Amino acid sequence: MQQVQVPQTFSFDQAIRSQRIFLGWTTALTAGVLVSILLAVCMGPVAIAPAEALRILLFKLFHLNIGDIVTQTTRAHIDIIWQLRFPRVLLAVIAGAGLAMCGTAMQASVQNPLADPYILGISAGASLGATFSILLSSSGLLTGLPTEFWAFLGALAAALLVMALAGMGGQLSTVKMVLAGTIANALFLAFSNFIIYMASNAEGIRSVTFWTMGSLASAKWNSILLPAAGVFFCFIFFFAQSRNLNALLLGEEAATTLGISLHTVRRSVILVTALVTGLIVASCGIIGFVGLIIPHIVRGFVGSDHRRLLPASMLTGALLLLWADVLARTALPSGEMPIGIITSLIGAPFFMYVLFKNALGFVGK
Amino acid sequence: MDLSLKNINVTLSQKTIIQDVSLEAKAGEFIGIIGPNGSGKSTLLRTIYRVIEPTSGALLLDGTEYKKIKPAESAKKMAVVGQFNNINFDFTVLDMVMMGRTPHKSLLTTNNRSDYELTLEAISKVGLEAYADRSFATLSGGEKQRVILARALAQQPKLLVLDEPTNHLDIKYQLQLLSIVKSLNIGVLAALHDLSLAAMYCDKLYVMKAGQLVASGLPKEILTPALVQDVYEIDCDIRENPDTGYLAITYHPIHRYA
Repeated sequence: MQQVQVPQTFSFDQAIRSQRIFLGWTTALTAGVLVSILLAVCMGPVAIAPAEALRILLFKLFHLNIGDIVTQTTRAHIDIIWQLRFPRVLLAVIAGAGLAMCGTAMQASVQNPLADPYILGISAGASLGATFSILLSSSGLLTGLPTEFWAFLGALAAALLVMALAGMGGQLSTVKMVLAGTIANALFLAFSNFIIYMASNAEGIRSVTFWTMGSLASAKWNSILLPAAGVFFCFIFFFAQSRNLNALLLGEEAATTLGISLHTVRRSVILVTALVTGLIVASCGIIGFVGLIIPHIVRGFVGSDHRRLLPASMLTGALLLLWADVLARTALPSGEMPIGIITSLIGAPFFMYVLFKNALGFVGK
Repeated sequence: MDLSLKNINVTLSQKTIIQDVSLEAKAGEFIGIIGPNGSGKSTLLRTIYRVIEPTSGALLLDGTEYKKIKPAESAKKMAVVGQFNNINFDFTVLDMVMMGRTPHKSLLTTNNRSDYELTLEAISKVGLEAYADRSFATLSGGEKQRVILARALAQQPKLLVLDEPTNHLDIKYQLQLLSIVKSLNIGVLAALHDLSLAAMYCDKLYVMKAGQLVASGLPKEILTPALVQDVYEIDCDIRENPDTGYLAITYHPIHRYA
């Protein structure tokens, strides 16, 4: 075996150093998210000073009573922060993190840079469920179960339909899966448009529209627990699958020769994505672009290795959606704007910029 | 590591691609598979590296049936350089070669010093030290092929399966690649197009035609003008160069098209 002369820059020590740098950035991003959460809860029709907001949060979270909380602040401020804004900001963080991670994993498991969490028809399925529930509830048929439940059911039904279609006649093929997702999206969209068209219920149509463009306005403590648990589990699961996801990016055949049980990995990633995306969609509607662009942008900075890509995407997604929601609730003096409009308005030009700067980590150069 | 195929049949979309193929590759042997386009070489190799399941017949690694070996286990022993290596997402050469360590690592462990050393050693074996931080997508076809070989080497296989590994390579790198592979002293199973190279490097050749084995044996014994005429439908002269001992194959033009 010949003696190997290795350039110093590619030693193990260099790798350790680069790992430390990455950890530094991750810590900075995490701090950024935390500071953003604090700033975000201060913003709104009633402006609250960051120091006061911090005192309220620390008191509520850890029972840290800095200065006497009862004399320093009003009951109204406590309620605004703790009951309205904080759950909503947390939902933004959860949904942003979840969508970005699911997008990352989806792009790897179908080996397609255009994949996003909604590619399995989840968005249209959830829309149909929600439309169904919002517009038909007045008829008294669907009493008892909330819109979120129907949306989740629709999302899951779409995902299962797509997986069944794609797996028909042999093995789960990625091309068939993407096509089946497109078909399911068109089909479910047609159904919900039909319901909307026939309903002629102006109030209902407005809430359907608001819902299909995404909104975090309904965030409450009890409605964020399930998505939070889902996203947390999703991160643990995907992160544990990092090596497999990396290998999947090399293509089916190469992944197989590296000992990956391709179909098991792919099925489980898709199933987790469908469940978590379903939970997110059910709680805040369809928020486009986050799951598509965040993985690409982050890949441009940290590379395609999922051990870095996943945590970085998660934090970046959280940060983006958090600020997009701040815009959504403060930009218009008259009221709320659907957050999906904002993410697309920010996302599309930024994506174009990165695309033309050739900084993306997928091969289209 | 010994590989043994017993009466393998492969049918894809109701079409028989491989018919009753039996093959032995003993530890450390350099085995060549030759045959025209569409003769089933790639399908046979893909069956061997577990992308395709045979319709019937048995595959054994060191006497154990494939079905009883987990994919992650066989990947520790067998590495593959396939034909199609275009990817949709980009990696650096270092990351790409590091992927070869995948079967040796459990899911949550990080790459340690020895993983890095093996990876860098593999990169320098294929002569790409200067390219370690280059993006894979920007490399030429031949460079990509060498990166994939390096990835296979980082896998520390006992058996290396090569599907037309010298495609895209100029003659220097064709010779270099086969020499590197030969110098490893591990088992090699390679589908090859170039008959002279096959004769030069292989200990044993299997000849395929229309999904079946039509000949096997020592290169110098089985490579005859009659066999080449039968399998490839062309005429040629085959002589042993008296100075080097290598076979010199001279092809005749096909007059029909001339």
